[in-house]
Amino acid sequence: MIEARRLTKRYGSTAAVDDLSFTIRPGMVTGFLGPNGAGKTTTMRLILGLDRPTAGTVTINGRTHPRLPSPMHEVGALLDARAVHGGRSARNHLLCLAQTNGIPVRRVDEVLGLVGLSDVAAKRSRGFSLGMSQRLGIAAALLGNPEILMFDEPVNGLDPEGILWIRTLMRKLAAEGRTVFVSSHLMSEMENTADHLIVIGRGRLIADCAMAEFIAQGSGQAVLARTPQPELLAAAVTAAGGTAAGVEDGELEVRGLTEDRIGDIAFASGLRVHHLAPARVSLEQAFMELTADSVEYHASVAGEGTEA
Amino acid sequence: MSAMTTTGAARRAAAPNLRADLTRTLRSEFTKIRSVRSTYWTLLLVVLAGITWAVANCAGEAAHWAQMAPQDRAGFDPTQASVVGLALLGQLVIVVLGVLVISSEYSTGMIRTSLTVMPRRAAVYGAKAAVLAAVTLAVAVVTAFAAFFIGQYLLRSTHEAATLSGPDVARAVLGTALYVTLSGLFAFGLGAILRSTAGAITAAFGLLFLVPQLAKALPSSWYADVERWLPGGDVTNTITSTQVQHNPNLFSAWGEFAVFGAYTAILLIAGLILLRRRDA
Repeated sequence: MIEARRLTKRYGSTAAVDDLSFTIRPGMVTGFLGPNGAGKTTTMRLILGLDRPTAGTVTINGRTHPRLPSPMHEVGALLDARAVHGGRSARNHLLCLAQTNGIPVRRVDEVLGLVGLSDVAAKRSRGFSLGMSQRLGIAAALLGNPEILMFDEPVNGLDPEGILWIRTLMRKLAAEGRTVFVSSHLMSEMENTADHLIVIGRGRLIADCAMAEFIAQGSGQAVLARTPQPELLAAAVTAAGGTAAGVEDGELEVRGLTEDRIGDIAFASGLRVHHLAPARVSLEQAFMELTADSVEYHASVAGEGTEA
Repeated sequence: MSAMTTTGAARRAAAPNLRADLTRTLRSEFTKIRSVRSTYWTLLLVVLAGITWAVANCAGEAAHWAQMAPQDRAGFDPTQASVVGLALLGQLVIVVLGVLVISSEYSTGMIRTSLTVMPRRAAVYGAKAAVLAAVTLAVAVVTAFAAFFIGQYLLRSTHEAATLSGPDVARAVLGTALYVTLSGLFAFGLGAILRSTAGAITAAFGLLFLVPQLAKALPSSWYADVERWLPGGDVTNTITSTQVQHNPNLFSAWGEFAVFGAYTAILLIAGLILLRRRDA
């Protein structure tokens, strides 16, 4: 369990993390979403005690990170896969980490096998691809068999097989009752992995809810209708109190009316409808709608909406 | 992977002894220093520099001994002739190792992982410095004695060769090894403060070599007051020397050593305070 209470980190006058409170619970994958520069990495650094908060607290199982007696057994983290000494072999890298917490050597070989790096264990990590580096970072996080796992952008640089592998791993770790906290800018990846979401923008909390709830919030219960007569159907649903917007040729997104009602209106007006279903708004769209105001650098006219 | 499928409580019970402490951090830091090539390169260079100097210098002195003026013979210090190269050249090289031991953690980003697995920063810092000191001391002691014995063997024809039981001889040989070790720690402190390899090596060379040279440009009365307090201590006239020291502006060998030690301690403490205060 990770608990942040009014967590704040300022660099000069800029707040990277601004009055953030959340609880990350065991037994599920919690996704950590936000646009670039939203403060995701800073939040993770605060959790790990690498940065000191300007105000507020963040605890791991009730203690701040520097006070954990067996840090590797309580939390395993992958922040930056390239943050290893490239001149050291994969095995020696893991060994020097394991030794600080009295983790036996056989566990080093075990995690190397688990992430599929046994064959290159003796090779210096300088020559590793980004995918291999990610696996090495994940091996380091797993060394202490920790109850809490934190991954910052873990699928970066992984091939589709690697992405599937880490998705399965995270689901498995959560199913074992562990706390899994993962950030990603690939929102589609979150949709397939996370049970719960914490969304931040400009260091502030935007949403803290179940995945399904988050998507529902963003979609506003829209209905997608495909019809060869979009103008006529749009006029008919508008007359019935709904709103309609053309999505693309022959498709309408209707809000304010149910599918049944839209079907009845079409039938009464003698209009042909080929498809009628709830619009499945992707996480990406929901995310864009929610964070539209909090993106740090809008691609808009200069001087407009730069500060909240 | 049976451990992966057990419950949280069972996992906690299964690992009662996974605690991070200083002893374990020392072991970890030893693994770190022995698993990168720069350690071997720098230490090999220290050995080569120390031995090569002893061979070249002592063989040269022995060859010229017959032509040497009596006052030069009287001023000849066979101990110093064999070990001063290790002190001067070894310092040059060990500075690089001392800086790298800590600055490479920052240049690679490894420091963030190191401080995550062992969040007691003073322990990480202390273990790093202790391992650096132990490894450097071991290599420097062996090299100093090797340089001494090789040098004295080459000087045997002069009948002036020193023995370890001679006055101040053991002190000069051991002092050389300690001096090299202290130089490594001096550089380590700078590395911790500046967190940059290039910056810290430049600063170390500046303080150890440039500042003493610049000080000589001071008016002589000022220089007389300043000379004994220069960083790095006086190697040629005191630390590696077995002869009576005639410069009243310098401390004794151990005094000069203490001055260098004090500078090193200041840098090490400043580095520790900054490591504990700054975001990693």
